[in-house]
Amino acid sequence: MRQVRLPQTLADLWSLLNKDPTALIFSGGTDLFVKMRADKVAASTMIGLERLAALRDIREDNGDIRIGACATHENILRHPLIAAHLPVLVQALRTLGSPPIRTMGTIGGNICTASPAGDTLPPLYVLRAEVEIASSKGSRSVPIPDFIAGPGQIRLAAGEIVTGVRVKKPAEFNLHHFEKVGQRKSMSCAVAGMAALLRVTPSGAIEACRLAWGSVGPTVMTDAGIENFLTGKILSPDTLSAAARQVTRMVMPIDDVRATADYRRTVSGNLLLRLSGMENPTIELKRQSPSEGM
Amino acid sequence: MDIQIPEIGKSFARPDAAAKVTGAEKYAVDYYGDHLLWAGVRRAEVAHGRIRNLDTSAAARLPGVMAVLTGRDVPGANRQGIVHKDQPVLATDKVRYSGDAVALVLAENRETLKQAIDLIEVDIETLPGVFTVDEALKPDAPVLHEEHPGGNVLLKAEIKAGKGESALKDCHILIEETFDVPMQAHAFLETENGIAWQEADGRVVLIASTQAPFRDKWEISHALGLGMDRMRVISPYLGGAFGGKDGATVQCFLVLAALHAGGRPVKMWWNREENFAAGYKRHAAHMRYRLGANSDGTLQALHCRLYYNTGAYAHLGGEVMALGMEHAGGPYRIPHTLIEGWCVYTNNPIAGAMRGFGVAQVSFAIEQMMDLLAAKLNINPLALRKKNALRRGDQNTSGVTMTQSTGIGDCLAALAENPLWLKRNDWKQAAGPFKKRGVGVSAVFNAMGYGRGLPDSAIAKIELTEGGRIRVYNGVTDMGQGNATAFVQIAGQILCQENTRIELVQPDTDRTLPSGSSSAGRTTYTYGNALIKASESLRRKIIGRAALMLLADTLDHLELLPGRVRDLQSGREIPLEMIGSMMAAEDRICISQFLMPVVRDKLDTGKGFIIGFPHLIFSYAAHLACIEVDELTGAVEVKNYAAATEAGRVLNPQTFTQQVQGAIAQGIGYALYEEIKMEQGRLLTPDFTTYHIPGAMDVPEISSQIVETWEPSGPYGMKGVGEVGSNGPLPAIANALADACGIRLTCSPLKQERVLEALSQSRREGGS
Ligand SMILES: Cc1cc2nc3c(=O)[nH]c(=O)nc-3n(C[C@H](O)[C@H](O)[C@H](O)COP(=O)(O)OP(=O)(O)OC[C@H]3O[C@@H](n4cnc5c(N)ncnc54)[C@H](O)[C@@H]3O)c2cc1C
Repeated sequence: MRQVRLPQTLADLWSLLNKDPTALIFSGGTDLFVKMRADKVAASTMIGLERLAALRDIREDNGDIRIGACATHENILRHPLIAAHLPVLVQALRTLGSPPIRTMGTIGGNICTASPAGDTLPPLYVLRAEVEIASSKGSRSVPIPDFIAGPGQIRLAAGEIVTGVRVKKPAEFNLHHFEKVGQRKSMSCAVAGMAALLRVTPSGAIEACRLAWGSVGPTVMTDAGIENFLTGKILSPDTLSAAARQVTRMVMPIDDVRATADYRRTVSGNLLLRLSGMENPTIELKRQSPSEGM
Repeated sequence: MDIQIPEIGKSFARPDAAAKVTGAEKYAVDYYGDHLLWAGVRRAEVAHGRIRNLDTSAAARLPGVMAVLTGRDVPGANRQGIVHKDQPVLATDKVRYSGDAVALVLAENRETLKQAIDLIEVDIETLPGVFTVDEALKPDAPVLHEEHPGGNVLLKAEIKAGKGESALKDCHILIEETFDVPMQAHAFLETENGIAWQEADGRVVLIASTQAPFRDKWEISHALGLGMDRMRVISPYLGGAFGGKDGATVQCFLVLAALHAGGRPVKMWWNREENFAAGYKRHAAHMRYRLGANSDGTLQALHCRLYYNTGAYAHLGGEVMALGMEHAGGPYRIPHTLIEGWCVYTNNPIAGAMRGFGVAQVSFAIEQMMDLLAAKLNINPLALRKKNALRRGDQNTSGVTMTQSTGIGDCLAALAENPLWLKRNDWKQAAGPFKKRGVGVSAVFNAMGYGRGLPDSAIAKIELTEGGRIRVYNGVTDMGQGNATAFVQIAGQILCQENTRIELVQPDTDRTLPSGSSSAGRTTYTYGNALIKASESLRRKIIGRAALMLLADTLDHLELLPGRVRDLQSGREIPLEMIGSMMAAEDRICISQFLMPVVRDKLDTGKGFIIGFPHLIFSYAAHLACIEVDELTGAVEVKNYAAATEAGRVLNPQTFTQQVQGAIAQGIGYALYEEIKMEQGRLLTPDFTTYHIPGAMDVPEISSQIVETWEPSGPYGMKGVGEVGSNGPLPAIANALADACGIRLTCSPLKQERVLEALSQSRREGGS
């Protein structure tokens, strides 16, 4: 018989974890239960985090935005703070799974699954998110690229959990953009995805930019060279095409049943071209999802 | 539930709707039982091989295992199959695809079952396999069925009309192209399952999710050597089927298991992975077309070579191909045809019946040929279709005279007036950045019924119960299409009774009568015709018996009204409850059989077909797809969709429209996403994570226009509408893609990666 524990406080959680360090942690279970059904993981004890109110919180903290690890995708999507400051994350969350998956799945789970296709990850990379980690002994925080080590690999010690993510409000950017290429419009694992934060002047000059690609490498791919190349240039199809060629050389996709590496490479570059349809960034900021304007 | 007297031609809520939405309706999968045992099979996991040794001892020793059975324990022929009996229940010597079952386990619970299955050791000497049609047809190819005289060719057949292919040389214009479509999964919600137990008298009762309970009895009886009177098969409402439950899935396993379960109920329930690995699929096909026409667009000649990859066992492969061949030339007049077909065994999962049975494949080919011809002649594609559309009195591409309702011309005319068609140029112009828009059409048809050589019969039974209610004994499974709803309407209309007084019994070989499979668009047509006759007899009977109680010396003034019979002259009435309680049990029942008419033309072709050729009655549809292509990703989005459908008269506009919409949604999946991928017979798409069906966001609003004709042989003039809609989306979308960006994909699905590749190729070649 498998035991499922649902601690009500962090203190209870630490004592459970101390008693059984092999226990499996879950939040929404939308990744873990799939793996259990396929016999990829097993444990005699499971610890659910859903009752820990402290982990579900979404709030402002010293001017930053802090999202609790157990905040569900649906809660994040609907939160006014997120809508106001993090459209890039909202756009990504809208493409994640389906309403039931978004209602159960959490951002902490998405981060800890560390799938190259995790949809919250490219936005969190461009937002330079910090992952907050705690254990019975204390807490620490690390930038997300340092936390995710590879596909399905995270740097979390035994007895530690992720308690939340923290991002600075990206006030210096006026264009948020996320696009996912899946095999259909919902319930689809990304074949490629791109998150972008740009500051564009009214005349179209790119003053700052951060870009991140998902599903086209072992972890989210970023490249300072490409960002530097674009900075100071005009947001035009020519500039973007030149950058897109660099993207196709930078990404490291694989072939799998969903798509070939070639397709992923081409599309990673092409996704950048989409920005050229967005001359008026302030409108883009208000726009909620790339599909709504279609 | 609204109380009403059901009427023909009016939307009428399904009698099963409330029970289904509240979860009260019991599907086969909802049946358990006391002291339940679970059954499961060990599958070969090898695509082609010879069984050297099968060791079940460790599994049999596992506590909680009731029995482990192998082919040696199968008492009968150990062969299943509808037309060709070539599939073992449990393989004894050879395995021909990775899903072949080699041992059957009965266990106390599912965990033990799984462990026991894993403990079975099967030693298989791997043989080289054949997976594509090309591989299977090589002269020195490994042979799947050594005893089959045709080698790997299950069936080779041809249909010839007029001067055949020789007429192609006289045509002004010749179009040639080759097309490929992949295997498609049915993806029904309720996976294959059932429950069976042996009664005290030794009889076995089987409740299964099946489209053909009566034929199951014959198949089980043959395979297991059990008398047909020794079993009872019950088929509740199905949670979807689409052809995938037309034939043996769990049936033989469960009855065999029940014979070893000491009277305990045994349940077998395939999970999704098993459904993918061992369930039936739509055939992949390779199709070579040559179409000749006059310079004014009049079709003259067609030559096709069609290759259907049927997988490891015959199942309905030959019949699926036959129907494909019969539809290969589309709903058009083409005087000279030669249509050749090869149905080929391979070491893949078994291909069989699926909505649009063989026809969905050829529709992709002929409807793109029509657009290629229209482009060459610079004729509007709708006008080209209209010009060549079959009319009543014409001969179709098999040389069969169209004596029945033939409404494809009306469907095309309706589409030509649809705003989506009329305003297509404006709509296309409005595409946003990196988007290209296109509008495509297709004209499709689908035969109804089994065709010549296999009686398409149903036997309706209807009862006035002792309590004065009307009970319809439905003998043909309702897998969601709503035939049972139509039966309540027919009984209500004829007997003038409220829906709340009418009961339905779902197929049960002990209570209902053989009415054929739930397939071929035939359920409402064939059973409905039988039910009209039975209901009319019952009406006369009720009035006749009421006369005795009303002391009426003539029946002329008696009328059957809701809940009563009234003497219109005297005003006296007698309730049905009294009439029912007065009548003897055998007197309260009316039974009637209907046999579908068949083609009367004497044809000198199609001799290769054992059964099921040719067909007399067809339903028709013209489809229009408005799509948007993303030039950056290649993704195709269906923005608008319209269908004009002709299936005779409409008994129930609501269920009619549901059939049209459901078929189109499934057809969009076939067009854009769905593809069973395999490597050496091993599935690369073993589940819904990798095999994508469309979701709600991928299916646009569908405008469904009903085009009515009158089918004189049909119940109230109707024909079947379940399948025809499946055939239109793939070609309409492919034609829209060509319209949008000048690329013509001859290989489906039209997935984004293929589209993007074709776009860049056309750019390299200096296209748009
Ligand atoms: C049908 C379906 C569709 C999906 N579609 C998408 C999609 O489109 N995009 C996408 O990105 N994902 C998708 N997913 C995956 C999944 O829903 C998301 O990754 C989700 O965010 C996981 O969150 P969860 O809370 O359910 O994780 P869980 O399953 O609870 O946990 C996932 C992993 O993280 C660990 N974990 C969870 N919380 C913590 C914590 N606080 N601290 C430490 N470890 C923790 C668990 O031990 C486990 O290993 C889909 C899943 C399904 C079943």
